[in-house]
Amino acid sequence: MSALPPENSWIAFLANSSDLAAALPTWLLAALGLVFIYGAIILPSGAIMSYLDRKLSADFQARVGPNRAGPAGMLQPLADLLKLLQKEASSAEWNWREALWLGVHTMALYSTVAVIPLSSSALLVNTDMSAFLPLWAALVLALGTMLLGFSQGSVPGWFGGVRVAAQALAGAFPALIAVICAGIHAGEFRWSTLAGAQTASPLTWTALCDPFQFIAFVVFVLGGLVMLAVPPMDAALSTQDIHGGVSSHLFGRRLSLFRLGRFYGFFLWSVIAVVIFLGAWTLPFGLAELLREQGRLWLVLALEVGWLLAKTFVLMLLVISFARVSPRGRVDQVTDFSWKVLSPFALLALIGTALWSGWGYLP
Amino acid sequence: MRGSVFSAIREYLQDVYRRFQSIWGSLITAVPYLWGVGEQRKEVTEQYPDPVSSRTADDLPARSRGLLVNDIDRCTGCKECEKICPVQCIRVDTEAGADQSKLWVARFDIDYSKCVFCGLCVEVCHPQSLVHSKKFEGSVYELKDLVASFGRGFVTAEQRAKWAAMRQQAENDEVFP
Amino acid sequence: MLETLRTDLTSWEIGPYHGALPGPMRMKLRIDGEIIISTDLETGFLHRGLEKAFELHPWPATVAYADHLDPEAAFFGELALCLAVEEISGLDCPPRAQAIRVLLSELSRISAHLGYIVKVGRAVGAETLIHYVLRDREKILDLFELLSGARYSLNFLRFGGVAADVTEGFIERVLEVAELLRARLKEYNDLFTFNHSFLLRTAGVGVITRELALQSGLTGPNARAAGLAFDARKAHPYIGFDKLDFEVPVGRGEAGRLGDAHDRFLVRLRELSQSLEILKDVAETVPEGEFSRMRIDRDFEVPNGESYARVESSRGLLGCHVVSDGGRFPARVQFRVPTSANLTLLPEIVRGLAIEDLPVVIASLDLCLAEADR
Repeated sequence: MSALPPENSWIAFLANSSDLAAALPTWLLAALGLVFIYGAIILPSGAIMSYLDRKLSADFQARVGPNRAGPAGMLQPLADLLKLLQKEASSAEWNWREALWLGVHTMALYSTVAVIPLSSSALLVNTDMSAFLPLWAALVLALGTMLLGFSQGSVPGWFGGVRVAAQALAGAFPALIAVICAGIHAGEFRWSTLAGAQTASPLTWTALCDPFQFIAFVVFVLGGLVMLAVPPMDAALSTQDIHGGVSSHLFGRRLSLFRLGRFYGFFLWSVIAVVIFLGAWTLPFGLAELLREQGRLWLVLALEVGWLLAKTFVLMLLVISFARVSPRGRVDQVTDFSWKVLSPFALLALIGTALWSGWGYLP
Repeated sequence: MRGSVFSAIREYLQDVYRRFQSIWGSLITAVPYLWGVGEQRKEVTEQYPDPVSSRTADDLPARSRGLLVNDIDRCTGCKECEKICPVQCIRVDTEAGADQSKLWVARFDIDYSKCVFCGLCVEVCHPQSLVHSKKFEGSVYELKDLVASFGRGFVTAEQRAKWAAMRQQAENDEVFP
Repeated sequence: MLETLRTDLTSWEIGPYHGALPGPMRMKLRIDGEIIISTDLETGFLHRGLEKAFELHPWPATVAYADHLDPEAAFFGELALCLAVEEISGLDCPPRAQAIRVLLSELSRISAHLGYIVKVGRAVGAETLIHYVLRDREKILDLFELLSGARYSLNFLRFGGVAADVTEGFIERVLEVAELLRARLKEYNDLFTFNHSFLLRTAGVGVITRELALQSGLTGPNARAAGLAFDARKAHPYIGFDKLDFEVPVGRGEAGRLGDAHDRFLVRLRELSQSLEILKDVAETVPEGEFSRMRIDRDFEVPNGESYARVESSRGLLGCHVVSDGGRFPARVQFRVPTSANLTLLPEIVRGLAIEDLPVVIASLDLCLAEADR
């Protein structure tokens, strides 16, 4: 499969779709597209994952799980959201600093919507370094979260903030190396190239094509958990000693914003893991070419996004089930794990991949 | 080889191996629960108050100590329960009734806001009029509604005079049949 | 020498209400970064005047108060009180009642230890384990309900016996539950006990040395984890524990150091399995006969005198000192509770730990403030 040209990004796709769209300026089209991605893909994914997470945990724990709101409890995420929205703030005073840093943290997080690769025709930023942008965003997110914690002026917020920063720094290094491994295999850090290096067959997926890439894949996923403080690596948000750290003083709307942000971080990370390691959006049986020849571009887009999201959900559920049975680590153990276990293995994977890919070029 | 670089590396790798192995071990213990394999891995949630899966009052064992019920027709007004109650939640007022042998239990109040459901009052009740029912849903909106009254009510002065006359009559009948 | 981060000292007050605390108490921490330098404990928020309340009630009603000494294992308070009163008044307990008492004592121990596993699981964030254990403890609470009608505050013991005979099918249910729990214990071990992350959190954390345990008068599983093989069931046998064959598990420092949090956890798991053995032995040989020497009597009088009874509760040595002046009311009832010793050494063992270890250490000590504050 050849790399898709940049003009094949979804802006061009949108602009070509109708006369009205062609008449609109590009920036407006881009903004509309981003809002659409956020509202039609990320929010529903959050609701679906929150439901699946609860049901899976309940099944693990010999419980029933949500089963009252809607059929089989499927409206529970919506009910929770409504409940959180009508909660009162913990103090009557408007905390400017908290609002400011929550805003920064949220903006840093959602700036990545522009980069998120969802299908071969839904790539807004498809530059030769775009695979690193989410990493950068995750670090900015950690900074925002840290300052959000500091702004609360409480001991739990302070510790939570410092721990978030420590975990983000510890997780970023091995995750970065793991991305480089995938880049060596594909030859470039462009989304389309990373995805194009893999076909629909699992044996050609980057994670499974050689043993070092598999190590890189595991390191990437675990590094992401450390970086974004996802359970069971969520020492930064531990409820037992620091009441959930940064979120200890957040209530109602702000808490739902924060929670959705945490989910989004995890979701983004899983999407990227799928794109660069698990075969991306490539449809099986050459469906994409078949449909494209027939001119059904929208159907290709929908199928590719659906296939990518399905793989992402499976990966997330795997991580969640792993989190359900493992006790939470202490923050120094989590960072130790990242520096002393993930990083050496990431470097091993880097050397191994370099040798594996460069073997033919050696004299 | 102890203390050498190789043994350190070996220990390090063993540690990493154990880390992943224990996650795997935990997972294979928990995963059969996903499908509820076997009788011992079924869901146990009682969806109270939905009677589909939660127990109702009828399913409780015979000795369950639920809310107290006093059968006032059998109650003799002996006040044994009032005296043994560790938290003084029972209040009994009696007076002489129409019948010589039986007291009129004007008030028999149990304050559930104090009751600890220890069952001592039931145990000391000689006529066995005071028993634990299996009812356990006793929440109310007002604190005063937590007082359960089983008394027959206070009597008026003329009623009291009438009963005194009746008792006198009965006594006279006994002495001069 | 304490490892410090050489930052400025900060003070942080935890409590009286906090998720990591076993009940209302206040911890005034001085912390250096995340490392605890010193701890001041303030307890007494749960003081209910329990010992005074005994003096204000007739003897039969005091059993209901002894229930409230330790709500999580209510039976042991009752047992200590009844043993002490029976000693003064010279009542003897019929063999059938003794067997029922042993059954209840071991069931209470199992229930309290399962509650302990839940506490530790919660402290390290192992949700799945918590749900499994709570599900199984429910079985024991059901047994209590079947026998006495209550799930926590049993109020089932009487001076000179028990309140009622066992119900139909109780003994069979006990054997069934013991069988079930044996299988469950294996499951807990597979899932959690030797999990690498759990070992990391507990091994070598909150170490109680043998000397410290001796100095502070520590008893129970915590002291046994530190290497002191003291068990009141062996040292001062009561209700026929001398006729039973069981072992007292002692900590061996398998994962980290002797007397650390993981040892305390393991000792309790082993005690659980010992209790299951005892249950099986006793349930199969419950003698026939009467269940109580006397019917409950409001005017029950205890002769002049005093006595002291020792019971091995789920947390340690529970002593009950009863003084009677010969009347219908106790002159003084005093309890020696195991949690007090734990509280005195808590500041000692958390010094130098990170604040993240604090919930784990507190959970692993199995504190009960209702009992300590009384």
